[in-house]
Amino acid sequence: MRSSAFVIWILIVTSAIVVAQGDRGRLQLRDLNGRAIAPFDPRGRANVVFFVATDCPVSNSYAPVIQRVCREYGSRGVECSLIYEDVDVHPTPAHLDQLVRMHLHEYGYAGFAAVVDRGRAAATHAKASVTPQAFVIDHSGEIRYRGRIDNLYAAFGKTRQQVTSHDLLDALDAVLAGGKVPHPETEALGCFITDPALLRKHVHE
Amino acid sequence: MSNRRLLFLCLVSAVALTPLVGQSQSAPARVTFAETIAPIVYANCVTCHRLGEAAPFSLISYEDVAKRGALIAKVTESRYMPPWHAEPGYGEFVGERRLTNAQIATIAAWVKQGMPRGDESRMPKRPEFPADGWRLGQPDLILEMPLAFEVPSSGPDVFRNFVIPTKLGEDKWVRGIEFRPSARKVVHHALFAQVPGGSRANVDGVDGRPGFGGLSAVGFMDRTDPGLGGWVPGAQPAMFTEGIVSRLPKGSDFLLQVHFHPSGKAELEKSLIGIYFAANGGQKDLASVQLPAIFGLGAGIDIPPGEKQFTIKDSFTLPGDAKVYNAFAHAHYLATQMKAEATLPDGSTRPLIWIRDWDFNWQDGYSYKQPFILPRGTRIDATLTYDNSTDNPRNPTNPPRRAIFGEQSLDEMGTIGFEIEIVNKAEVNAFHDALASRNKVATEVASKNGTLGRLLARGLRRNMQQLTIFDRQGNVVTRLGEVGSYSQAAFSPDGTRIVVVKNDPDTDGRDIWTFDIATGKSTAITSDAPPDSAPIWSPDGTQIAYVSDRDRTNAIYRRAARGTGAEELVYTHTTGSQLILTDWSADGRFICFWSGETMFLLPLT
Repeated sequence: MRSSAFVIWILIVTSAIVVAQGDRGRLQLRDLNGRAIAPFDPRGRANVVFFVATDCPVSNSYAPVIQRVCREYGSRGVECSLIYEDVDVHPTPAHLDQLVRMHLHEYGYAGFAAVVDRGRAAATHAKASVTPQAFVIDHSGEIRYRGRIDNLYAAFGKTRQQVTSHDLLDALDAVLAGGKVPHPETEALGCFITDPALLRKHVHE
Repeated sequence: MSNRRLLFLCLVSAVALTPLVGQSQSAPARVTFAETIAPIVYANCVTCHRLGEAAPFSLISYEDVAKRGALIAKVTESRYMPPWHAEPGYGEFVGERRLTNAQIATIAAWVKQGMPRGDESRMPKRPEFPADGWRLGQPDLILEMPLAFEVPSSGPDVFRNFVIPTKLGEDKWVRGIEFRPSARKVVHHALFAQVPGGSRANVDGVDGRPGFGGLSAVGFMDRTDPGLGGWVPGAQPAMFTEGIVSRLPKGSDFLLQVHFHPSGKAELEKSLIGIYFAANGGQKDLASVQLPAIFGLGAGIDIPPGEKQFTIKDSFTLPGDAKVYNAFAHAHYLATQMKAEATLPDGSTRPLIWIRDWDFNWQDGYSYKQPFILPRGTRIDATLTYDNSTDNPRNPTNPPRRAIFGEQSLDEMGTIGFEIEIVNKAEVNAFHDALASRNKVATEVASKNGTLGRLLARGLRRNMQQLTIFDRQGNVVTRLGEVGSYSQAAFSPDGTRIVVVKNDPDTDGRDIWTFDIATGKSTAITSDAPPDSAPIWSPDGTQIAYVSDRDRTNAIYRRAARGTGAEELVYTHTTGSQLILTDWSADGRFICFWSGETMFLLPLT
């Protein structure tokens, strides 16, 4: 029993997400439409990657902000991707894919490239631990910013009346201007990304 | 991962875990979901954390809980969840939502142990909740919001007041209220009040949406004693404490103030309110004691910017025996702590309530589990603390600004109140005299120190606004036009101009104006008697479409954004209901608008 679960786990990790390591050693992923994308390997001057989850209230509350950022910077060659870190407790992979499609629709993410990171390959690659968490990748593929979108959340349930630090935008502006990112790493507050293996371990207990 | 490495990891976690389990005597050595965690979660979380309730996710199955294990450990440890803001040891209240230290340690231990599922057969029964319906039984009066209100997907929290006529032909006595919001994910809390019928007609719906905005719907001077209460997520509906009833006068309007918290997607709210009547006015002599009086009107609330520890204190000595039923607290965003204690005539003290981390979002009422008597001569002392520095993340201004007493969200107030029964008939007059005298003193102080003058002056200037453009850091870029009353501003697609509705408070007229941001030059797009609203820009910025209400018919017009040429009638809406324009398609071919609950797409030919 245990070994069969382990085999399934291996299959999921290896098949669903990772298409190939790009020639520069960077991660290639498949989006929901089956298209191969390399969000960590920008075609333009920079990319932004958002780690999100369909059922994380903090990440959901940022949907309009994420859309605004991507709209604003899209014209400057910045590509955005969403990486969903839901724990797949569904009977088949198609269930979670459908859930993510519905989420994209409900939260106004039309036109966004979205990846379902079942095996956590993307999260592991980027060292993402929380949703929502934003990453800015420069043209050379270097992660120049990892952290919160802004400082709206001071603590769980403690939102600021006014955002006073727009960390992601500051980082993006700096990268696009060829300058130094003021705070390359900030603490993101939200829902922890759970290792799916942890839950799977207890399925047949 | 090789088997050897797995084994090594297991050993490491076992070693890391030992001291933690050893520290807490009550955390069992091996914690499983079935035996230990599910009972805690079912008893404390699922009232809200289940489908269709206020919480953003369910906590019912093993998977629900385990996939959020680390988060649950963190938020229970910080006591953000379950949400309860009264400190233990300062009064025991009905419906306390708190975990014991042992329960919190158990959850942490379970997460550290890798969240084992345990023996399914030992799972507690899943909690059952009554199907949709009135939990307190069929109400005597059901009120419903006349129109649904759309809560935006994002932006700051929304405070909206809805006026619902009771149509009561005689005075009634209320013994309980049940509130049923429709969009539970975005309704953060609600407060109930009653106001004279028709008294809010001048503000209700003027911005084209149901209800009206602001925190000060019920003037602090005319709140009723005792009030009608309120609702927070997770609170079980309950009748008022035994014997407490509140008057709902003939012909009055029910006023529902709802605090909405945008969730990332737009929602429609149409609340239901069930009201339960008592046969008569009750036999008890009730009173409400506020410390300081009148929400702090005379307490000298004038908090300098940067002040971290601004404190106000007040005391009241009871002129007779009082039975204490409920406590409540009110302040805005700057308050941090509120504490009250009673000193009895024999010198002993009794803690009454301590809210250690005041959160405007969780304005609970606190009903004592066992109402108690404070004898005549007992002194109640209250202390309220405010933080107007940048260290207070809830500070609504940045950089901080001086905060004075007032009802707007940038103002402050503050009081701790108690709902009491005057036990002896002979002491009723003494109580009423003492409370009236406190109110009189507060008003006199406020009149001397300028608080009242500022409030009145502000009342006269009501609706006086200045169009101001800020950059992202909050610095003023420019101010436009004269001081007046404006709404529904929108930037032109190229960001160089704004269109806005300008209200004339004297004639109640509403016209569309544009302002050039660089030059400040203003242009009237309409200047007619009928009210105009909802202006939108064409995607190329050359035209403005708007709604005009002429002869009780709503119609869409458009005119050149430079104010040249004549206006053109685009569409007439025959149902007579309000139209709101929302967007003009990027290719310029369609206008999108909504009316009632229907969205329309209008082709421009």
